[in-house]
Amino acid sequence: MSDHSTAKQEVPALQVEEIHKSFGAIEVLKGVSLTANDHDVISILGSSGSGKSTFLRCINMLEYPTSGSVRVKGELIEMRNHKDGSIAPADRKQVDRIRSKLAMVFQQFNLWSHMTVIQNVYEAPMHVLKIPKKEAKEHAEAVLERVGLIDRKDYYPAHLSGGQQQRAAIARALAMKPDLMLFDEPTSALDPELVGEVLKVMRSLAEDGSTMLVVTHEMGFAREVSKRVMFLHQGRVEEDGTPGEVFDNPKSDRFREFLSGSLK
Amino acid sequence: MDFEAITSNLPLYLEGLATTVELVVLALILGMALAIPIGLLASRKSVWVTFLPKSFIYFFRGTPLIVQMYMIYFGAGQFEWLRESFLWFLFKEAYACALIAFSLNTAAYTAEILRGAIIATPYGEIEAGRASGMSGWLILRRIILPSSFRRALPAYGNEVIFMLHGSALAGVITIIDLFGAARIVNSRHFVPFESFITAGVFYLILTFAIIWIFKRIEFRWHAHLRPRNS
Repeated sequence: MSDHSTAKQEVPALQVEEIHKSFGAIEVLKGVSLTANDHDVISILGSSGSGKSTFLRCINMLEYPTSGSVRVKGELIEMRNHKDGSIAPADRKQVDRIRSKLAMVFQQFNLWSHMTVIQNVYEAPMHVLKIPKKEAKEHAEAVLERVGLIDRKDYYPAHLSGGQQQRAAIARALAMKPDLMLFDEPTSALDPELVGEVLKVMRSLAEDGSTMLVVTHEMGFAREVSKRVMFLHQGRVEEDGTPGEVFDNPKSDRFREFLSGSLK
Repeated sequence: MDFEAITSNLPLYLEGLATTVELVVLALILGMALAIPIGLLASRKSVWVTFLPKSFIYFFRGTPLIVQMYMIYFGAGQFEWLRESFLWFLFKEAYACALIAFSLNTAAYTAEILRGAIIATPYGEIEAGRASGMSGWLILRRIILPSSFRRALPAYGNEVIFMLHGSALAGVITIIDLFGAARIVNSRHFVPFESFITAGVFYLILTFAIIWIFKRIEFRWHAHLRPRNS
């Protein structure tokens, strides 16, 4: 349980209930729920094909769940059934507004290649949050300072290493002052020696109280930094608890197998 | 060789040069204004949306420019309703007809260049825009179009040069552009080689200017593709 028993009935940062998602005949998610409170850091583990990335992408509607509900800060994302049986958000503007509070960091960084690092960082604050350019730029500089990239602010993404690109992408996410950050395997595309610099930044965000959902294969990060660990297997939650409970006392055979595989 | 006839007709050539530049610049501006929406529509998935823009592109790429220009200049007058409409002031003028033909022609080629560049936009960059809460329109304006224009630049530079050379057809329908000026000088003095090589030199100079301009734009716009410190 992750409830702060001392806090009074607060609205959870994120409440996901019974998400199902099918691609054609294949059901990738078979009813996954998750509640995250402010300052929670939750790691989502699972082997490839377990549905963990899809689950994360359902939260900000990059994929539309086939059924289930997503509430961000108590606000339900309204869904609508189409005639052909598909389901999609009812109000694009609501989705855009909610997405601006849910920053996402991608496995492949996905920086805008025609913009410099700092332009990448202040683009959305300026055009989505409508912050004046000067202010957005100043904030972008502060954020780049924080991820250790201020000396690369005028570089284009192609001129940076993978680790630097991912830190730039984290800066871009941070610049939105999000309520919740979604990390989709942020270190999986990196050379092993570059993983550390990205994890270090993520660790510092966690220590500063950011609310984070991290799909990852980094067991060290999951165990040491996160408050809660969730293990998905074939679209179902197999484990859910504190790192201590989950790693030291796994209930499912699946997770035991996964652990022994990843410790090789 | 008789270059006396050329030097005495230099003002005529300069007039032709001005007309060529004006025609080409106007055609490129009008063509681009048409090409952006046509290219965007042609890059969509739905056949219902792409049918018209793709047909437009196919027709104007599929027929010679001179055929298009003749259809508009000589062919339009055949229709009485057009002769009696307010648009006739355009279709009776050779200049306007050439401009319409050139604009539609370059619009088709440019739309096809843009369509290719638009569908090559890295999908992750579009997703990153969505995940930041950008609307579809904002993603188009800030991500898809700027990155597509950069990709389209080298091919578009080629199209501009083709348009310049294609514009010589204006000289065939009584317009005094560079080629028209050369034709007049030739008919007055019967110096075909001298009169046409002079026009050729002017076209070379214009082409050189176009190449230079595109080199400058590429330098600015393709900074993200250059190795650092170059």
